[in-house]
Amino acid sequence: MNRFRCSACWLLTVLAVLLVAIPAAMAHESRPAYLEIQETAPGQYTLLWRTPMMAGRRLPVVLRVPDGIRGLREPVVQSLSDSILERRWIDAGPQGLAGKRIEFPGLQFTITDALVRVELLDGRTMQMIARPSQPWVEIAASQPWWQVMGTYTVEGVRHILFGADHLLFVLGLLLLVKDGWMLVKTITAFTIAHSITLAIATFGYASAPALPLNAAIALSILFLGPEIVRSWRGETSFTIRHPWVVAFAFGLLHGFGFATALTDAGLPRGDLPLALLSFNIGVEIGQLAFVALILALARSFQVLEIHWPRWVQVLPGYTVGALGAFWTLQRVALLVGALR
Amino acid sequence: MRTARSAGTRAFVALAVALSCGPARAHLNSTGMGPIYDGLTHFLMSPEDLVPALALALLAGLRGAAYGRRALFTLPAAWLLGILCGLAVTTTSTTTLGPAIWFLVLGGLVLADAKLSLRAMTTLAVLLGLVHGYFNGTGMGLSAPSIIAALGLAAAVFVLVVLVAALVVTLRAHWARIAVRVGGSWIAASGLLMLGWSIRGS
Repeated sequence: MNRFRCSACWLLTVLAVLLVAIPAAMAHESRPAYLEIQETAPGQYTLLWRTPMMAGRRLPVVLRVPDGIRGLREPVVQSLSDSILERRWIDAGPQGLAGKRIEFPGLQFTITDALVRVELLDGRTMQMIARPSQPWVEIAASQPWWQVMGTYTVEGVRHILFGADHLLFVLGLLLLVKDGWMLVKTITAFTIAHSITLAIATFGYASAPALPLNAAIALSILFLGPEIVRSWRGETSFTIRHPWVVAFAFGLLHGFGFATALTDAGLPRGDLPLALLSFNIGVEIGQLAFVALILALARSFQVLEIHWPRWVQVLPGYTVGALGAFWTLQRVALLVGALR
Repeated sequence: MRTARSAGTRAFVALAVALSCGPARAHLNSTGMGPIYDGLTHFLMSPEDLVPALALALLAGLRGAAYGRRALFTLPAAWLLGILCGLAVTTTSTTTLGPAIWFLVLGGLVLADAKLSLRAMTTLAVLLGLVHGYFNGTGMGLSAPSIIAALGLAAAVFVLVVLVAALVVTLRAHWARIAVRVGGSWIAASGLLMLGWSIRGS
């Protein structure tokens, strides 16, 4: 069973390598832009537009407000270490922004999203996401809770599927576990652990700086590589005997990573519980789908009686270790560079 | 008798491919998640690509594990080769005739539970992969993201064929195999509708 699981992992490893080969597809390097619209008086709004800096350059996305809107005063632009903040004051007339479209030209040429939060005078808040495939949002008259939930669930699924490092860690765990019960325990431990830190970090009770965190996440993947090889050689270790403990310990780290996806966007605390829950559900859906896919592939290879050559069987384990090492070196270099 | 039937099937397929014009599958939609996902989702969201590949996987599964193994390695490889051949071509066309014929042929073969030889099924897989891959590739433009998208698309084909063929191979109950053949009839019927639509449109 384990051999076939290895085979199934092979294909997914190749996909993970391809994901990594795309420079812009690095995990945690796809921070979204953020727009906050606050209604300060009937028809008048304050806009806070934040675009992240990527490799020293501003995300090439601009904010375009609907025609017929006039500025109340000159915009203020402020450069931060990781982003550029722009503040505008506008008057949208007596009808306000309801039913109007805010566009983000340039977003379609990126791999990231723009999160939009709207606070209205009547107490309603809305959260929306503009994507490269639809680089605009429309300010609806109202947004029910289930729409907010849907938005962040989808965002959670996208985050886990796009985060090659998270998937590779799960892949490493799958290569380590020997039986179904241990698989359930391991995946559950990982889920519980990252849910804990995701919640803690999102509510602001704890935080982890991005650079050391990313290096530690890479290290967690590197850690699994030698353990997988050891397992294949018939040797044993604490990790091989109790993979769920390792999954729980490193899951705490990965949870901080998931939280980065929410907190980097600068989401206000008041509306976070629903967004957090939905985002976590999305992450779990994506993760379980990934695990189910690997198991289904493993079973299918078995049914079709495919006998992979030895080098194909060991490729997933070595890929997990090699990519873990590469990311660790890369991220430690970034960390050292930032400390200088 | 079996040889004659296989030869007839091959001749029909060759004719169908010769008749088929290029379907419009150029210009991948952006998912915003990078080219590999663009390729994956393009395949999964394009019935004119997905359904013939599904039908071939059903057919291979009905014939057994050896056919499934052959299809799962041949179809994605041919598809990838077809895309790479089509990448340099910038023209696209918009007809449903080609996919309609594939729907009809492959759906019909599943419906009939055709006792194809391994070689005939391999030929079908290669032709399907090359033709659909080529038209997937046209208009994408020769660039690194396009090639990565092509790999994503081929991976999606691989996964689909593995999962579906293996599932059908495990079906032992008579009624289950009948259900697969009913699925083939729906595919063939869809092809017939598309064919009529295509002819009426032209």
